[in-house]
Amino acid sequence: MTESTVILALVVITALGFDFTNGFHDTANAMATSIATNALRPKVAVALSGLLNLIGAFLSVEVALTVTNAVVKIQNSDGTPKESLTAGGGEALLIIVLAGLVGGIVWNLLTWLLGLPSSSSHALFGGLIGASIAGLGWSGVNWNGNGSKLDGVVGKVILPAIMSPVIAGVIAAVGTWLIYKVVTGVAQRFTDNGFRWGQIGSASLVSLAHGTNDAQKTMGVITLALIATGDWTDTKNIPFWVKVSCALAIALGTYLGGWRIIRTLGKGLVEIAPPQGMAAESASAAVILASSHLGFALSTTHVATGSILGSGVGKPGAQVRWRVAGRMISAWLITLPAAAIVGAVMWFIGDLIGGLGGAIAIFLLLVAAAVYMYLRSRREPVGHHNVNDEWEGAPDAEKVPAGAGSAS
Amino acid sequence: MSDNLGFALEGAWKVLFAGLVLGAGLPLLFALGIRSLAWGAGGEAEVHESGVTGPKPQPIGTVLGWVLFAIVLLGIALGITFIVASGFGKALSFEHIYPTIIDKH
Repeated sequence: MTESTVILALVVITALGFDFTNGFHDTANAMATSIATNALRPKVAVALSGLLNLIGAFLSVEVALTVTNAVVKIQNSDGTPKESLTAGGGEALLIIVLAGLVGGIVWNLLTWLLGLPSSSSHALFGGLIGASIAGLGWSGVNWNGNGSKLDGVVGKVILPAIMSPVIAGVIAAVGTWLIYKVVTGVAQRFTDNGFRWGQIGSASLVSLAHGTNDAQKTMGVITLALIATGDWTDTKNIPFWVKVSCALAIALGTYLGGWRIIRTLGKGLVEIAPPQGMAAESASAAVILASSHLGFALSTTHVATGSILGSGVGKPGAQVRWRVAGRMISAWLITLPAAAIVGAVMWFIGDLIGGLGGAIAIFLLLVAAAVYMYLRSRREPVGHHNVNDEWEGAPDAEKVPAGAGSAS
Repeated sequence: MSDNLGFALEGAWKVLFAGLVLGAGLPLLFALGIRSLAWGAGGEAEVHESGVTGPKPQPIGTVLGWVLFAIVLLGIALGITFIVASGFGKALSFEHIYPTIIDKH
């Protein structure tokens, strides 16, 4: 076994680790509202979302090999790695990718610890950008594309991040407002039960779309690493085991459930009633699907948060906790630079030690950071048992899930 | 930068439009469905003065409600078809008004 094979193995493990954090970080996007309104029991919600992510990941057979091209210049346009980076077994490229992934994971874990729904794609892109700046200089980053289409850090990351939550919020606000207009005069118990079903349907659609979108990114990164070391040559296909392992990683992560984030999105922003939940998830599903149809890259997290805020704005008399929203938005703003700094620092450490030792060193640093943050999270655990507790003050009253015989 | 802004704004309008039709329009139909069902069920399903029996059930409301739900389900089916089709390198085309699955170029 050569040195680069060992580094490759570390890259694959780290990439799957990122995919796993991507899963639990984003469970909330689809399921926070259904959990908050008791449309689904918490455990059932994460299981359903995990299963749909698994199915979604397998549906995404489209090759996502050029995923890094949007932000950094480590690949040619056909997906093969730049020749200058593959000399000597591809180590130069592997270290950049490894450092970038570590940056993404560390930021995902930290925001999870704080219960903040930040974008996993921004974390991944941020890590890769930082590692590329460290390894290749400023010119290693695709800042603005070449002007022929929406591309580069500005076009694929920054602009969609500003626009997508606003668009989703407007749609959800309009939807919520219309729904409440239509159902005035209908008994609340009757509407709530009906809308819980609508919520489950729309949330499922978001989960499925998430699986197809996000699992692809990790598949692309792993395949890129395999090509760099010469273990895979086909740029039109992704190895089957990569697809299976990525699908399983994101599904398991989703099933684990990022309860801290689910709590913030489901209870912290807005007190969600079933009609709002359905409006929010429908808006998210529509925006995600319409955008991917038009090739408009975006983050599911930004869309889901925008939708939930919109559902609070659209309901007459609803309370929106703008302080919580402000905390979230500041987390979004620093996600990319923060992950980039971690990615860059990791690259410097890896480069300083050099070769296999460097790769092992950053991998161990990642493990140490992950263990530390996990232990910190145990001090104030949030799980399926307390995810729905009141945001401030008294505990929640018992509500009955849809389909559990509450039609009377 | 300005190029990108132009492309993004162009995309944003399309997403907003499609999103309003599907993301707010379908929930609206769903809400109308619930409303019709309540009308169809009558009695306790509708808000009425306490102490008296609620409005009379209207069977046509139940039928109308389920028709509306069927339309919503069709919309969702379209969404799922879209996800699956794009995963297999196909695309949904609306050039014949009704959706057809075509090869992606």
